[in-house]
Amino acid sequence: MTTIASMTNMRLKFPGVDSLLFEDFSLSIDRGEKVLILGPSGSGKSTLLQVLTGLIPHAVEVPMKADALTIPESWGFLFQDPDAQFCMPYVDEEIAFVLENLQIPRERMDYYINHYLQQVGLNFDDTHTKIQTLSGGMKQRLAIASVLALEPEVLCLDEPTAMLDPEGTKLVWDTIKNVGEDKTVVIVEHKIDQVVDFVDRVILLDENGTIITDGPKQQVFDHHKHVLIEQGIWYPGVWEDYMQDKSRHITTPGNTEDTKPAVHLSDFSAFRGKVKALQVEEAYAHPGEWVTILGENGAGKSTLLLAMMNLLKTTGTYTILEQDYKRIKHLAEYVSFVFQNPEFQFVTNSVYEEIAFSLHLAKWDQEKIARRVNEMLELYHLEDHRHTHPYQLSMGQKRRLSVAASIVKEQPIILLDEPTFGQDAKNTFAILEQLDQLRAQGTTIIMVTHDLNIVKNFATKVWRMEDGELVMESPAPNYLEMLQPAVIS
Amino acid sequence: MAMDFSYKETWLHKINPSLKLLIMVFLFIHLLMIHNTNILINYMVGMLVLYLFFTGHPWKRLLVISIPFLLIFLTSSTSMIFFGKGEITWAKWGLVHITEESFFRGLHLGFRGISFAILGIVFALTTRPVYLFYSLMQQFKLKPKYAYSFMAAIRLIPLMIEEMQTLHYALQVRGVQGERGIKEFYKKIKAYSIPLLSQSIRRAYRIAVAMEAKRFTNHGNRTYFYRLSFSKFDVIFLCYLLVIIPLSYVTATHFPYFSITDVRFGS
Repeated sequence: MTTIASMTNMRLKFPGVDSLLFEDFSLSIDRGEKVLILGPSGSGKSTLLQVLTGLIPHAVEVPMKADALTIPESWGFLFQDPDAQFCMPYVDEEIAFVLENLQIPRERMDYYINHYLQQVGLNFDDTHTKIQTLSGGMKQRLAIASVLALEPEVLCLDEPTAMLDPEGTKLVWDTIKNVGEDKTVVIVEHKIDQVVDFVDRVILLDENGTIITDGPKQQVFDHHKHVLIEQGIWYPGVWEDYMQDKSRHITTPGNTEDTKPAVHLSDFSAFRGKVKALQVEEAYAHPGEWVTILGENGAGKSTLLLAMMNLLKTTGTYTILEQDYKRIKHLAEYVSFVFQNPEFQFVTNSVYEEIAFSLHLAKWDQEKIARRVNEMLELYHLEDHRHTHPYQLSMGQKRRLSVAASIVKEQPIILLDEPTFGQDAKNTFAILEQLDQLRAQGTTIIMVTHDLNIVKNFATKVWRMEDGELVMESPAPNYLEMLQPAVIS
Repeated sequence: MAMDFSYKETWLHKINPSLKLLIMVFLFIHLLMIHNTNILINYMVGMLVLYLFFTGHPWKRLLVISIPFLLIFLTSSTSMIFFGKGEITWAKWGLVHITEESFFRGLHLGFRGISFAILGIVFALTTRPVYLFYSLMQQFKLKPKYAYSFMAAIRLIPLMIEEMQTLHYALQVRGVQGERGIKEFYKKIKAYSIPLLSQSIRRAYRIAVAMEAKRFTNHGNRTYFYRLSFSKFDVIFLCYLLVIIPLSYVTATHFPYFSITDVRFGS
């Protein structure tokens, strides 16, 4: 085996940070290896990939030194954010951009564009299609196509599916497995159930960027499981371990059907512009219920939440605690909303102010506000960050803050749009547990998700959406039974 | 949220974008040197024909776009009409002093404003930014570094519009009621601009790294996916201008609308 990429005693430091991120770090990768790099956020996994490809220090100026450094002759890099790796507006132009960089003559370009698109399984009637109109999964496959246009020996993948839904994730990994067969592949991921069959070597980093272990995957998974759990990595079987460990069971709150419904929708529709985007014949949610909204991408799950928040034009019956929604002056008093991207929810400059925001709006007196905010800070483990700007928090902290800030007024209904999206296992469980506590106290939780494990272990009810229509309302266990044995193992 | 902005491609679209840009710059400068309202009106009609019949955009859109034209006309002409200098007084109320000279000068300014607007919008409506930058690289040797940065930046605009919608929802959800007043407006600007900017800066940075990862360099030769050169449409455009401009001078001399031939004060 020949070494294709290596580094000896690499040292790296980010400006403004006191300690070195990497200190005397050595690594060598052989031709044809499929390597998975695991580690908690902040352990420098992405940075390591960028050093391996020479992006650091050539494109990203970070002080870095190494006694010896071998960078592969040809490499391709797939990034996380589907929207932040294209510089052209159309599919054909994007691949052509790479071909231009490689000085491929114009006459050959059309052939190559079709060739690479075919390799990733994208078929367009006309390759002159707007990238903006593609789904996240298609965008990532287009990104793979333009990476393939570099004809790389080494593929570097930096959490390529972190922002995709399960279907897109599967298609992207299938594509990668397909095109990466005869290449060297280095993957950074924290959701690993899709890649685990594909890789043969696993490197585990700790938060200081040192290698905990490096070896064949089976050996790493067998001997270092506790590290995986500790660092919140989504290894296969993480849910089973979690459920066993907690021995936690859902305390189904009596017969909820008897209580007054928290939400009742009947012949309810919503419009985007003039187009009808949502239709609900009949649906109920009771206090103490945890409703999950399931459905394909574009089935109208988020639309339903926006409509229930009265952000779209709606018609029909919608009652909140037996009051007509049109009669309610401040819907935000009853219903809170947690967005998919926490950053878009932040409206102030500090964690404390963020949580206090809706209380100030509601004109609570200062003392009461301070008491309530401190309570929330403690509950959501944000006490040490009260003066931090929300943007400076980590992924998990941002998520916790956005939940805390939304529910601070103890609204009886919480709507959540994929709150566990992009979170590591540890953070996901933390959020779910907090929500479950609220549910046990009688709050109604209505949540969009793709994760059937949440349905299995937390939800009490499922609303299924198809083509903008709520087609099924069923208790969670019944829904899962219906799917068996196809999906849940 | 995808906006439909489709159009039919006309001969104006097929003109070499660099040449079109250059001609537009010349026309702008030339416009500044016309002081005879009669010529200017003819000239404006000539450009209006391009706008109305040859941009390939639907009527409704053209009409909507022309609403601000009216505003430009009104604002630029009235201030001159009301407050400009002149000797032959038509009306006088306090500060407002309308004279024959100021009236025609105001009219002239209004027409000039409209002509500028028409030329600019014709260019914008018939030129794809991507072609413009490819052409600038090929005809004017613009450095690829700048051309591709601009193209990447244009890609960010629709993303920002989408994010603005989300932000708008987020603020509503948090119970922010739209209030009026300067202080509220300032608060609103802050609430929108900081998250939008921070997200864009991060994205721009990532795109830059991604471009380098795709072996984009500023030196060395490139090949081009779009090769833009000159064609008969450039000749047609030049001919159109070469007919319209002299024609507007000739008809202005022989069939003037007004007797004033120079609107400048003191001439």
